[in-house]
Amino acid sequence: MSSHGSLFDIMGPIMIGPSSSHTAGAVRLGLLARNVANVPIRQVTFTLYNSFAKTYQGHGTDRGLLAGILGIGVDDESIRDVFERVKETPLEYSFIPNEAPNHYPPNTVRFDMILENGNPLLVIGHSIGGGKVYISKINEYNVHLRGEYPTLVMFYQDQPGMIWKVTQIIAEYNINIASLNCTRKEKGNEAFMAICLDSLLPKPAVEAIRNIPCVYSVCNVDKIPS
Amino acid sequence: MIQFTQFRDLLAYCQQEPCSVGEAALRYEESLGDRSREEILAGARGLLEQMRSTIESGLFCEDKSLSGLSGGFSKKVMDFQNSPQAFMSPLEHRMIAYALATLEENSRMRKIVACPTAGGSGVVPGVLVALWQEKDLPMERLEKALLAAGLVGEIVSHRMYLSGAAAGCQAEVGVATGMAAAAIVEAVGGTPEQTLNATAIALKNTIGLVCDPVAGLVEVPCVKRNGIAGIHASAAATMALADIVSFVPLDEVVDAMVQVGQMMSPKLKESAEGGLAKTDTAVAFTEQLRQKQQNPPCRD
Repeated sequence: MSSHGSLFDIMGPIMIGPSSSHTAGAVRLGLLARNVANVPIRQVTFTLYNSFAKTYQGHGTDRGLLAGILGIGVDDESIRDVFERVKETPLEYSFIPNEAPNHYPPNTVRFDMILENGNPLLVIGHSIGGGKVYISKINEYNVHLRGEYPTLVMFYQDQPGMIWKVTQIIAEYNINIASLNCTRKEKGNEAFMAICLDSLLPKPAVEAIRNIPCVYSVCNVDKIPS
Repeated sequence: MIQFTQFRDLLAYCQQEPCSVGEAALRYEESLGDRSREEILAGARGLLEQMRSTIESGLFCEDKSLSGLSGGFSKKVMDFQNSPQAFMSPLEHRMIAYALATLEENSRMRKIVACPTAGGSGVVPGVLVALWQEKDLPMERLEKALLAAGLVGEIVSHRMYLSGAAAGCQAEVGVATGMAAAAIVEAVGGTPEQTLNATAIALKNTIGLVCDPVAGLVEVPCVKRNGIAGIHASAAATMALADIVSFVPLDEVVDAMVQVGQMMSPKLKESAEGGLAKTDTAVAFTEQLRQKQQNPPCRD
C-alpha cells in the first residue's frame, strides 16, 4: 500500500486501456525489466501467475509486457499493435500462464531474459493497482524496486566501509542520494544495497563501483515514467 | 510536509484552516515539493482536458471493442435524451453517457486517465466533464474538485491496494464513486464535512462489490457499471449537501471495505472464476473468444 504519494499517481497515469493493473502495470513492469537489463534483450519468456495468468489476453497484459520490453510507454497507442511492431525487431518472446498455486501476490510476472551479450537475467515483478509496480527479485537476489527513482542496486560481501566507498564515488559525480537501503542475510555474508538517486549514475561511476573489491553484482536501473 | 493518514486528520485540517478539501489537496500536493501551486492546478487542468478529449472521441463512436462486447452505448444514451420517454435531466444523461464513452474507449485500447484505475476510469470524468459543460463553474473550482477526488483516493490507498485483484471492484469503481461524490460536493461549493459525508455515503453502498468480469475483460459489467456510478455518486452528494450525515464515519467505512476485501473469495477478485464470469452466457462467450484468439481473423 502506498503512503503519502502524489495525487497524480491516483489520478493517472494517462494510459492506453483496458486495465491499469493488467495493461499499464504490465507496460511499466516491462519498462522496469528493460531498465534492469540495461542492454538490448535478445529473448524473453514471460511466466504469468495468478490473476495475470487467468486474464492476460483479455486485459492486454501480453501486449503491455511486450510493449514495455520494447520501450513503448503506457500512453502510446502502438501498444494495441505491438504484436505487429515486434516483428520488426529481433526480439524472441513467449508467454506461459502458470496456474499452479504459489505464494506470489495477485498480479505477478517472471521475466526470463537472454541479453544481447548472452547473459541470462531473471526478474520477478508485481503490479499492485493503478499502474503501480515493483520488482521483488533480480536473479537470485531479493530486492524491492519501484522504478520511481534512478536506482543503483548492488550485491556484495558484508564488510565495514562499503557504504562509505560507494557513496564517495557517487559524491565525486555530484549526484544527490534520495534514499539508501541496505540489508544483509547475516553478518559477514552477502549484503544488498539500493541507492535511490536524483539522476542516473554515469557509466564510469558504475564501473568504479563494480571494481570495488568484494562487489558481486551491480545494476544501474533508470526510473520509469510515472 | 502536510500528512493526512486518516480522513479525520483531513477534516481537522480543513476545519482549523478553514479550507475546502480541494484546497487541502492542493496544499498537500504542494508540500510534496515537486510542483508549485500553479503547476498542480495546470496538471489537474491537463487531466480534465484529457478526460474531455477521451469522452469526445468516444461519445458518438460506434466501433466495437476487440471482443465485440461493448461499443456504441454512449451514443445510444445521447440519442435517447431526445426521446419523449426521457425522464432524467440533460446533466444526468451526460454523466451516464460520458462514463460509458470513457470505458468504451478504454476497451478499444485507446487513451484514458486511470482514476483511480482504468476499470473505474469513467466515473470521475463522467461527473466532472458533465458539470463543466452543464453548469457554469469556474475552472479553478473544477481543478480543485479533481484534486479533492485524488486526495480521497490517496487516503484510501493507504489502507488497501486499489485493484480488483486485491479487493474486488469495491477498490476500483467503488473507490471511484467515493472520489466522484467528493468531487461533486467540492465543485458546487459544499463544506468539508459534506464532502467527506458524500464519500462515506457513496462507499457504504459499494462495499462488497465483486470483480467478476466476463472472459476477464474490462467490459461486462464494468462499462455499464461506470455508467451507473456517476448517478450513484450524485445521489450520495445530494444527500450530503442536504446535510444528511453518514452514521458510520468515513475512516470506519474504509476499514470495513478493507475487511470485506480480505474476506472476499479470490474467485471474485479479477480472476474470472465466479459470479457473472461463470454464468452460462459468459462461459459460452469465453469459449467462443478462446477459439477466435487461437485462429485470429485477418485484420487490416
